[in-house]
Formats: sequence, C-alpha cells, structure tokens
Amino acid sequence: MRSRTYRTSYAQLVALTDHGSTWAWAAAGVVLLALMPALVGSFGLNILVTIFVLAIGVLGLNLLSGVAGQISLGHAGFLLIGAYAQAILTTDYKLPTLLAVFISGLIAAAASLVVGVPSLRLKGLYLAITTLAFTFIVRHVVLFAEGLTRGSNGMPVEALTVFGLSFKGDQRFYYAALAMLLLFIVITLNLMRTRIGRAWLAVRDHDIAARAMGIDLMRYKLLAFMVSAFYTGVAGAMVALQTRFINVDTFSVLVSIEALAMVIVGGMGRVHGAILGTALIVLLPEALTVAFAVAGDGVKTLLADRIYEVKGLLYGVVILLFLRLEPEGLAGIWRKSKRFWMQWPLSQ
Amino acid sequence: MNYFLNLVTSGLVIGSLYGLVAMGFAIVYRATGMVNFAQGEVMMLIAYTAYSMASIPGLGFAPLLLGVVAVSVLIGVLIERLFIRPMLGEPMFSRVMVTIGLAVVIRSTVILIWGVEPTAFPRPFGSTPIRLGPLALYPGQIFALGSLALLCLAMWLFFRKSRIGIAMRATSNNETTALLMGIDVKRISAIAWALSAVFAAFAGLSFCLMFSLEPEISQMGLRGFPATILGGLDSVVGGAFGGLVIGVAENLAGGYLGRGLKEIAGFVLIVVVLMVKPYGLFGQREIERV
Repeated sequence: MRSRTYRTSYAQLVALTDHGSTWAWAAAGVVLLALMPALVGSFGLNILVTIFVLAIGVLGLNLLSGVAGQISLGHAGFLLIGAYAQAILTTDYKLPTLLAVFISGLIAAAASLVVGVPSLRLKGLYLAITTLAFTFIVRHVVLFAEGLTRGSNGMPVEALTVFGLSFKGDQRFYYAALAMLLLFIVITLNLMRTRIGRAWLAVRDHDIAARAMGIDLMRYKLLAFMVSAFYTGVAGAMVALQTRFINVDTFSVLVSIEALAMVIVGGMGRVHGAILGTALIVLLPEALTVAFAVAGDGVKTLLADRIYEVKGLLYGVVILLFLRLEPEGLAGIWRKSKRFWMQWPLSQ
Repeated sequence: MNYFLNLVTSGLVIGSLYGLVAMGFAIVYRATGMVNFAQGEVMMLIAYTAYSMASIPGLGFAPLLLGVVAVSVLIGVLIERLFIRPMLGEPMFSRVMVTIGLAVVIRSTVILIWGVEPTAFPRPFGSTPIRLGPLALYPGQIFALGSLALLCLAMWLFFRKSRIGIAMRATSNNETTALLMGIDVKRISAIAWALSAVFAAFAGLSFCLMFSLEPEISQMGLRGFPATILGGLDSVVGGAFGGLVIGVAENLAGGYLGRGLKEIAGFVLIVVVLMVKPYGLFGQREIERV
C-alpha cells in the first residue's frame, strides 16, 4: 500500500505527481501508443487520431467548464474558426502548416473575446445561451463571407508539413496528432498547478468569494475563455488537417453538446477524465456497429439508415446515465477502482 | 409601405411562435430555476404525437386539441418525475445537462419512430388566406397569434388570481419559506413542467399548421432562446413580448439587410442586449450573498 501522502512543503502540494512510479507508467503508456501503428490497421488508426485531435479541444473545454466553471455551448464555433483559419492561412497566405496550426489557435482565442466579454456580466444559463448564439453567428459569418471562406462549398486543406517533412498518410499523421496531444496534456497539467489554475478553481467554486480573496475576476474569466478557445482552435486546425476538407456542416451545434458530453462522461475538471471521456464517446458508435453486426441483418439495415439517430440516442442515454449514476465520470470510476486495488484486502 | 407591413405581420406571426416557446422556457425557469434545453424536442414529440392522433378518422379539431393538451400534460409530468426530480440537489450544471441529454434522446427517438421526411399536417381550417385590409393571413398564422394572445391572458390571470399560480410565485420567490407556508413545492414543479409542455403543444401545433411536420421543429427550441433572454428568463409574459420583438426584428433584418441575416438577427440582438442588461428586459436582478 502506498502511503506517502503527507505533504510538508508547498512544492509538494503543487508537484505534478506524488509518486515517481507515475512517470514510469506514463512513459509506458506513451510507448504503447507509439507502437499502435504496428498493431492496428488504418481504420483503427483513424479512430485513434480522431480521439487525439478531439481530446485537445475537450481538454480546452474542460479547462473552461470543469476548472473555471463557465458553461460554454459555443465550442463548435471555436472549432470552426480554427479549422477555417488553418485552411485559409495555408492556401491563401501560404503560411507553413505547423505555424498555421498555432496561429489558428490564436485567432480562435481572439474571437473568444466576443463571448468572453459578455461573460463578465453573465452567469450560468445566460452565459450558456450567449455562447450558443456565438456558434450560430460564426456559422453565419463563415457561410456568407464567401470571398474568404468559399461559403457553403467548403475548402480543401493542405497536408501537415514540418520543416520539409510531410505528415501525409495515416501513420505519419498519427504521430503528429499524438505529439500534439502530449504537448497539450503537459501544458494543461502544468497550467493547473500554477496560480492561474488555482485561481480558476476558486472562481468556479464561488466567484464573489474568489474576488474577495484578491482574484481579478475579469482577468481570469477572460483568460479561461481565451486559453480554452486556443486549445479548441488548435483542435479545429488538426481536424482540418486530418480530414483534409472542411465544411460548415462538420461543425454543427451538436458538436458543442458532444464535447460537453465528453467532459461530463470523463469527469469535470480532470485531465485524464477529458481524454477517457473523449475516447469513450468516440468509440461508442464503433462498439455499437460491432455489436449490431453480430446481432444480424435486420438490425444492420436499421443502423445503416439511421446511424445518425442511433448515435444521438446513445450519446443522450450515456449522458443521462453518467449524470444519474456516476457524476464524477470515468475519472471517478478510475479513482475508486484504483483505491479498491491499492487497499485490496481491506477495501470496502 | 405594404412591404413593410407584410414584413411586420409575418414577423409577428413567427414571433408568436417564439413567444410560445419562450413562455415554456420561462415557466420552468420560474418554478425550478433551470432552463429546459429539451423544450424544442418536447415540442417535436408532441407535434408528431398530434399527427398520429389526427389520423384517427372522424376526429374533429376541438377533440384533437383537447387530446393533445392532455398528452402534453402527461409528457410534462413524466419528464419531471423521471428525469428532473431525481436530480434535485445536484449542481445546476448537471441538472441542465440532463435536459440536454434528454433533448438528444427525444429527437433521435422521434426520428427513429416517425422518420425524417417532412409530412403535410392536416389543415382543419383550410388553406385559403383571410384578407385583412392590405394583409393576408393564413388560418394557421391566425391560430399562432390567437394562441399566444389567449395563453398570455390565461397566464396573467393564473399568476394573479389562482391559488396554484400564487403558490408558484411564492415558490420561485423563496422555496424554503413557501415550503414552511404549506405549499407542496414538488407538486408546483410538476405543474410547471406540465404547463411548459402545454406551451410546447401549442407552439408545435402552430408550427405544423403553418409549415409542415418535420424534424426541424426541434430547432425552434434553440431559435426561441433569444426571445426568452430578451424578455428575461424568469418573466413569462415578458417571453411573449420578447418573441414578438425578435420575430419582427428578424423579418426586418431579413427583408432590408439581406436574407442570411434573418437567421442570426435575434442572436445578435440578444448578445447586444445582454451586454447592457444582463438579466434581460423584464428579468429580475438576482442579488447574491456570499
């Protein structure tokens, strides 16, 4: 049984992990993921890439909703901005693709001020609806600014190239997505243990009390929106690089809801929760396809006709079940099962 | 001038639809302090049920309306019992997410049962427009305007005169005190959900009578948000007013500034309004103590 949880200094309180063994496990996980292209085919690889890319955005939403406590239904809008920024910057302005990914994030962050500024006066539900309005407005702007975005025709996107090395093809892009996700996980974990991360937690728990403790609400709420939008913008750019063609319809309001579902299913405010939640929600329809293939032809045709609805039904049911039965999400299940095994003969 | 008048009138008609949706939002918010993101989907479910009921031969419009109202009350109470009440005491975020989850479930189920193709809803009042001076209104449009006016009046009387209405106001004012005064707070919440579903029923019927029966009905829920916000989330009659304003504003923006703007005029309007008045035009400012 591990029992080194007595902390005697502030440095220990903000350390990334209490146990050195966590590093070994993390390294093992990264090695396993790096070996994946040798183990699974291109279909499986594609699903993994989707998980990695979306997880970046979900990490961002998790920072905003789970850590800073601001509900957003507008992340489909940031994803859309990131994807289109990537497409426009690389085709029209001939920027290097990797640089464009980060600039897309910055553009999304700048756009987030449109929602961030009203958020200073709005709380809870009013904020949720303003962010929803933001998604509609962004969609509209993209559809009607035809000179810049080609309107409803969509845009092709150039493949990722880093210093002359092309990341075209499933396997190569897989490593790019993995590296990007790891980068953002490290950034997030470190962000959470700085003054900024702690200030966000205080704002979430009670914003007026946080202000009384000397936290500048305006600064930290805006910062939460901008950082979250930056993550989502980068995720949008990566989505564009993965699909190589973007269209407004890829980023409907349902995407915002899906993203919130991922945050909730994973467990609010937890980094590993965000990733587990993304993985579960992305894998769910695939698991369903497999299950129904076993079930027989009749069910399979139903699934072929109505895949979108069956998927929707599934999201809904999963959200409802998690909210009712496990509000802490997958991160909570993880914590409980870990404790169970660690205290095994004595666990209750 | 004629063009302007026509724009305003059709704006008022669409606005009355928004108003009905907004009133449904507001009544739930007033009684329970949460927003029902599934309002549009409840509307859709009731509209499709109404379609199935209308196919019963020999059923007139009046019995159909009664039947639809009864079904909607049932749906409202069931949703409250099964999904909302067990979440009492949970954080607001989870409670709102339950309605979002519910919205997705209802929409998918309805499409799985009835399909995605738009279907013509029977027109019990015919489809010849009725002329009023320079304006021509379809019976369905008159139904929408009429139900908004009637329900507005009914709500006003309900909150002023009826015992339950006054109890509901007391509950939204202070739940604990209301409980101590002998008000059954749980019943109030159930009644609010039932009433909200009745609003959804009228909104859904109006939509079907004006357009057709299609899955896009559920979009009306999201499109009704600007009206709700403009009127203030906790003001039922304010929601009706907000709906009319948004409807007219959308139509004028679409008619004079360009077609695409029609879709987002309402959302742009509320982002601006909320920056000036964070609790809407008629909403009450919440005073918070730490």
